[in-house]
Amino acid sequence: MDGIHDMGGMHGFGPVEAEPDEPVFHEPWESRVLGLSLVAAANGLIRGSGRSRIEAMRPVDYLAASYYERWAHSLETRLIESGTLSRDEIDTRAASGETTPTRSAATSPDMVALVPRFLNSPQATSGTPAAGRFVPGDSVTVRRMAPASHHRCPRYLRGVTGTVTAVPGAWPAAGEQEPEAVYTVRFANADLWGDDAEPGTLYIDLWERYLE
Amino acid sequence: MSSEHGHHPVEPSAVEHRVTAIESLLVEKGLITSDVVDAVIETFERDLGPLNGAKVVARAWVDDAYRARLLVDGTAAIGELGFGGAEGEHLTVLENTPTLHNLVVCTLCSCYPWPVLGLPPRWYKDAAYRARAVREPRAVLAEFGTTLPDGVEVAVWDSSAEIRYMVLPVRPDGTEGLSEDELVPLVTRDHMIGTAR
Repeated sequence: MDGIHDMGGMHGFGPVEAEPDEPVFHEPWESRVLGLSLVAAANGLIRGSGRSRIEAMRPVDYLAASYYERWAHSLETRLIESGTLSRDEIDTRAASGETTPTRSAATSPDMVALVPRFLNSPQATSGTPAAGRFVPGDSVTVRRMAPASHHRCPRYLRGVTGTVTAVPGAWPAAGEQEPEAVYTVRFANADLWGDDAEPGTLYIDLWERYLE
Repeated sequence: MSSEHGHHPVEPSAVEHRVTAIESLLVEKGLITSDVVDAVIETFERDLGPLNGAKVVARAWVDDAYRARLLVDGTAAIGELGFGGAEGEHLTVLENTPTLHNLVVCTLCSCYPWPVLGLPPRWYKDAAYRARAVREPRAVLAEFGTTLPDGVEVAVWDSSAEIRYMVLPVRPDGTEGLSEDELVPLVTRDHMIGTAR
């Protein structure tokens, strides 16, 4: 969807504020929401794209929320959608004010052993070889479109013409099952932002369906 | 806390209560166990971070054959050093040169190569960087204290699909005598995102 998350090129957000010696997590609940999201997905308790639920937040809520608040919204929304938890039981439990979650007596050593395999071990390259319409060197134009569902085609590219530089592979597009060719496309900054743009180039990977 | 549209703004103080409630309920229903959540967090805090990427860069600086493999198939060459995993199933390494500087952003969200850099810093996920890196990269770089000489082209990479990017910086002048291990501490997270040169 063309939502507030699609921020490329917007004005008005001010300077980039970097934090020296930033910790991995700022609060324990941030680490729990990340861990819970990955484990809930692995256990089949939630389905579908976490990002689609984040993108469906009202823009004012999205902008006011921190990154992990958005993750918390997405986790809760998907747990409710799957029927795993109800909003009422979360509301009721949250009202108790507890900040230390219940510890399970049970353990899952087999799953614990899978964590480093999933997060921290060499992988086979994803994607399948692409057989698509375009080859490196082709001129392509990003389609004008306004899909209401989750997609990966930023607005700032629509209608702009660039050049295919590589075909890294094929992956299912958002919401699809079958792999589709993905192209690395190079754009000139002047074509994206006009004559007063900073000189330079922009590269982005785009599914074939976004291009013509 | 509810609306017909499924949106419910969460106060900063309330989100901790809601996340805690969710974990307690899932544990009490027997749907998850705490140790697995702990293991995920420990892996991020202990094993994933820019030190991994720095080892890749240092190897590429001392071993031309490795650098060549790295630039052709980042996933496989990074795997040679034992690194890989979620958000790194297809890794591409972007080589800086004396006339080219690469900068990585995810304008739509937070795509980032977890196996080599860990979780992204807050600024990488914030609106200002996502909005501006594609339109005024030199102005953003200047805010990081990075001023590029004239004649250096900036290439911005907007991570949007399944490929995750890291930058291979130029080996600094004056480091010819350093070993691979001595080079590792010279490489920072920001070098590998591209906000540092």
